[in-house]
Amino acid sequence: MNSHRKLALLAAVGVPLLFVAVITLQTRIDVSTAAEVQSQQELLLSSGTVIKRLSLGYDALLADIYWTRAVQYYGSNAGIPGVKFPLLWPLLDITTTLDPKLTPAYRFGAVFLSEQSPVGAGEPELALKLTQKGIAANPQDWQMNATEGFLYYWYLREYQKSSEAYLAGSKNPLAPGWLAMMAAQVVLKANETNTSEMIWTEIYNSTPNPSIRKSALLHLEGLHASQDIEALNQLAQKYHSIYGHYPASVDVLVQAGLARTTPVDPSGLPYIYDADGRAQLNPKSEIVIESGPATPPKVYNN
Amino acid sequence: MSSIPAVVAVNTFREAVRDRVLYNLIFFALLMMGAAILVGQISVGIERIVIVNLGLSSISIFGIIMAIFIGVGLVYKEIEKRTLYSLLAKPIKRWEFIVGKFGGLLLTLAVNTTFMLLGLFVALLYVSRHLERGDWGIVEAAYFILLQLALITALALFFSCFSSPMLSTLFTLGIYVAGLFSKDIREIGALTKSPVVEWACKAIYYALPNFHNFNVIALAGHGQPIPASLLWQNTLYAALYVLILLLASAAVFSGRNLK
Repeated sequence: MNSHRKLALLAAVGVPLLFVAVITLQTRIDVSTAAEVQSQQELLLSSGTVIKRLSLGYDALLADIYWTRAVQYYGSNAGIPGVKFPLLWPLLDITTTLDPKLTPAYRFGAVFLSEQSPVGAGEPELALKLTQKGIAANPQDWQMNATEGFLYYWYLREYQKSSEAYLAGSKNPLAPGWLAMMAAQVVLKANETNTSEMIWTEIYNSTPNPSIRKSALLHLEGLHASQDIEALNQLAQKYHSIYGHYPASVDVLVQAGLARTTPVDPSGLPYIYDADGRAQLNPKSEIVIESGPATPPKVYNN
Repeated sequence: MSSIPAVVAVNTFREAVRDRVLYNLIFFALLMMGAAILVGQISVGIERIVIVNLGLSSISIFGIIMAIFIGVGLVYKEIEKRTLYSLLAKPIKRWEFIVGKFGGLLLTLAVNTTFMLLGLFVALLYVSRHLERGDWGIVEAAYFILLQLALITALALFFSCFSSPMLSTLFTLGIYVAGLFSKDIREIGALTKSPVVEWACKAIYYALPNFHNFNVIALAGHGQPIPASLLWQNTLYAALYVLILLLASAAVFSGRNLK
């Protein structure tokens, strides 16, 4: 065997073996530096303006990268009990400074910021700031005004401002008719379930994003359950006036002819009654009841 | 009109193809395919935008790298290999050689940009399943990138007429970066409140090629119309600037002692 063949054989065997050694070593290094990596989750540059200058003309691509980073950051932290999102606002601010026309960053970013922990950052004021920045940069986009109206209505309980936001959006020739309707409704019927239902239905129908659709659906299911419970409480009173005691379960209502079928919540589980005839969700149910605008869902407080 | 620059240009293009310069298209194709498949899974709401932004930025970055690194060697390589002497022994004027070299590299960049643009549209079709009227802006943006590349090529060629490839690369890169910040230079001058500094900054602003003019990637990404006036203004701006640089290159190269 000549020296060239020997070397080729050595390389064929040695290179894979050395790679195995490198991978093993890197895995060990990753484990030993895991804590350090966790603490390094920060932004080296927090000024969007500076980053824009340093982008050498590739600001649009950099905005996409920052937006993707914001989505990944949100996605990897959302749902962790007690989580805070300190980098979410800077990431969104940088993204929208780099590309002020990147409308998905405003729309989805506002949702990420406004939802209560652990679903979101619980910062509706920052969500509003982001949305208003989006309105200034994209005055032709009525959806920004709709988001602003929603934030004022649902999280900040400022119904007059909410109405003004919806009204401003309704003046856009491309805006759908429900915006003008909403402008009137949020002031006149601020605390009615129908108003909340209408807003969440529009959010559900207008967003292509699965996580926001899921969130809207959860809110809608909670509102439906809230309406069901109100109706069941009335039926319990009626039952009490007939039989002198409250129904032990919702099945009793069917037997008494007060309901055609066993009332179930949107997840399919039957409601229950307490001893005082107050209807409640089944303990196994994952539905979240909301008492109205700006009241965080129960699960968020846990 | 002499056809010698065209002959030099075609040979420069052939040399670039022989040097496997267009192999970067494979990397670009892989990048586009990867982005088209991955972007929907890692981001939200920007699938189409990111393909356009990534595609056009890549066309620009690949093009700039090619324009600088090939451009700085256009003249130097011919001197180094001593092929220039046999060329100039023929009835070729030095300015014809310069124009031909510029035309050849520009042709290479144009072919490269066209293929990349096609790849970008394929990726776009894969992601959004259809093309829109606003996608015409992508073609315009790619054209502006080509104008920018023409300028960079002319710059690199100019420096390569009297300097080594290493220094020419540094000079070209320096002018490119300074050209991106030219507006800031003018603004700094205005802030100083000194008439002399302000005048000097303004002079630098007009002397540097303004590469910011050619950046419409964000507009193309959002499908927004690119002003029609910008099309002829940028074309004329690039043509004038290239003419200045080619004249200067020809003048420097003609006066250079090649012995």
